[in-house]
Amino acid sequence: MDNLNQITVDFETSHLIFPTLIAIILAVLGLAIVITRRREIAAAPGYWRSVFARMDKVRFFGTIALTVLYFSLMVPVGDFWPNTGLGFLICSIPYLLLTGLLFLHERSLRKVAPVLVTALVAPVLVWWLFTDLFFLTLP
Amino acid sequence: MELAEIITPLFLSLIVGGTFVGIVFGAIPGMTATMAVAVCLPLTYSLGLENGLALLLGLYVGGISGGLVPAILLGIPGTPSSITTTFDGYPMTRQGEGEKALRIGIVASLVGGLVSLAILYLFAPALAEFAIRFSYVEKFLIILFALTVMGALSNNMLIGIFSGFLGIFISLIGTYDISDGGNGEIRLIPPGLEYWLESGFSLLPVLIGLFGLAAILDEAEAGVPKGQSAENIKTGRRSTFSFAVFRGQIVNLLRSAGIGTFVGILPGVGGSAASILSYSNARTFSRNPERFGKGEPAGIMASEAGNNGLTGGALVPLLSLGIPGDSTTALLIGAFTLQGIQVGPLFIGNNPVTWEAMIVAMLIANLAMFAMMYFAIRYLARIVTVPKHILFPVILMMCVIGAYTINYGIMFDVWTLLIFGLFGWLAVKLRLEIAPFIIGFILGPSAEIYFVKSLESFGSLSIFFTKSWIAVVMWILIAASIAGSIALSRRHVPPDA
Repeated sequence: MDNLNQITVDFETSHLIFPTLIAIILAVLGLAIVITRRREIAAAPGYWRSVFARMDKVRFFGTIALTVLYFSLMVPVGDFWPNTGLGFLICSIPYLLLTGLLFLHERSLRKVAPVLVTALVAPVLVWWLFTDLFFLTLP
Repeated sequence: MELAEIITPLFLSLIVGGTFVGIVFGAIPGMTATMAVAVCLPLTYSLGLENGLALLLGLYVGGISGGLVPAILLGIPGTPSSITTTFDGYPMTRQGEGEKALRIGIVASLVGGLVSLAILYLFAPALAEFAIRFSYVEKFLIILFALTVMGALSNNMLIGIFSGFLGIFISLIGTYDISDGGNGEIRLIPPGLEYWLESGFSLLPVLIGLFGLAAILDEAEAGVPKGQSAENIKTGRRSTFSFAVFRGQIVNLLRSAGIGTFVGILPGVGGSAASILSYSNARTFSRNPERFGKGEPAGIMASEAGNNGLTGGALVPLLSLGIPGDSTTALLIGAFTLQGIQVGPLFIGNNPVTWEAMIVAMLIANLAMFAMMYFAIRYLARIVTVPKHILFPVILMMCVIGAYTINYGIMFDVWTLLIFGLFGWLAVKLRLEIAPFIIGFILGPSAEIYFVKSLESFGSLSIFFTKSWIAVVMWILIAASIAGSIALSRRHVPPDA
């Protein structure tokens, strides 16, 4: 009986033991979930249709698009002025302004003004705090 | 360094400032204590360990407490842990007793926070001393137990445990670290991403993505609901608050604080479970259960003492075993990592001054929370009117800073933030459980080392059952948590299912 339990670990392949075990457990649990919740899984297309129907698509996908653009531009812009964090600063100002406008419901001058001020002040303050005071690298 | 040298004006102002910011985050629906800690984590870089923890613990206590403001005034829980506060708090507001309800909640929050702090102070060192004797076998079983408890207390046990193991699986991406005794080989990395994922996904960008970006995506999906206008905020002064309202409620307060602390000690179980359990117990033991849900002060007391009881409780497993008690304390692990300190059974013994500083910080945070909220509640009530279109962009920017600076300037960490922000949003839609996922992600690499090294040392799977009496007890607890969860789920199955 004891021999059945004996396991010799080969150090060369020891990095695969635990991931394999976890993958097997995940597969078994996944199968159990599929079996026990098959009705909900079968109803998934309808569920996703209702999620997309209720979704504010402009704000949701707009946030993702602006964020992807923000992340993509930060480094190339920063490369013009290396090690200054200006890529972060220059990209953050329009990003804050555009996301602020995107989230705003009523875009009157009275409502837009605080968004504009925040978009200017917050990145400058944070940029100064992190680069000048904390000496941290920003893109 | 002595404790007296740590308690400087900066230390104190960080606690008070952190508590205030935490209250703001807690009071705005859609923003949580976890988000507050995630966003402010990069600020702790230059503060040092004790000062950094002072800020984060203030945010934690403030964040949990702030949730009662919109729960009582608007019937909208500011944080998930204040759901039950709405049951009686909002009816009181509608009856013109908003200010009285707020003050009841604030006092109950203080009691909950202090009781849990006392339990933390007494219990964590004892548990840590006990846990020092654990070998890799027992440490592995503790993690397994943590995952099964989280699964058992999730909405669906199978999905809860699946989420935990998924977290472990994702944490294993990258190199099997030589410094932990591994062979230095990489695994689970998709082709072409070896350069970026050699060390796997960094913990903090993952956490910031899951708790910062995902929450904002969730709000964006709902159209970023408009903030409340100041005219809607009516604190009401029809009847004034008096401490006499607590007469006969001491048992309720202490029981609720105790329940909250106990729930906090269980790994990965959040504040909503703490307040729901406290509330239902208060109703069960009340002489007037029919008044609950209609503006019963005892309901607010139970809910708020329960959710603030969580704060000390959740730190017990973190500081004694290295296992976070909830999502917010999972982020505190990040703060320790930033300072190069590993939390586990040796933490309190090796860092007695830091431990005492944490206790002092929690005590001051609770007192500061009480002072700010009790005496300035009419002004603080206006926090719920802060517009999200101003706050959310700033939070998004802070998330980027947190992710980028964590490893001293790696852009892939910023993309990790986006990947896990999207994953966090999708996970909620797929009904995956985020808390077990995170605990699995944090503990996965340790679980691997403990498991593989146990096998290397003993060469037998039976060692996990026969190593010591502690191992046997752990298996009994694991079996009991699974059996308990199955029994509970059967009781809740609707008759027609």
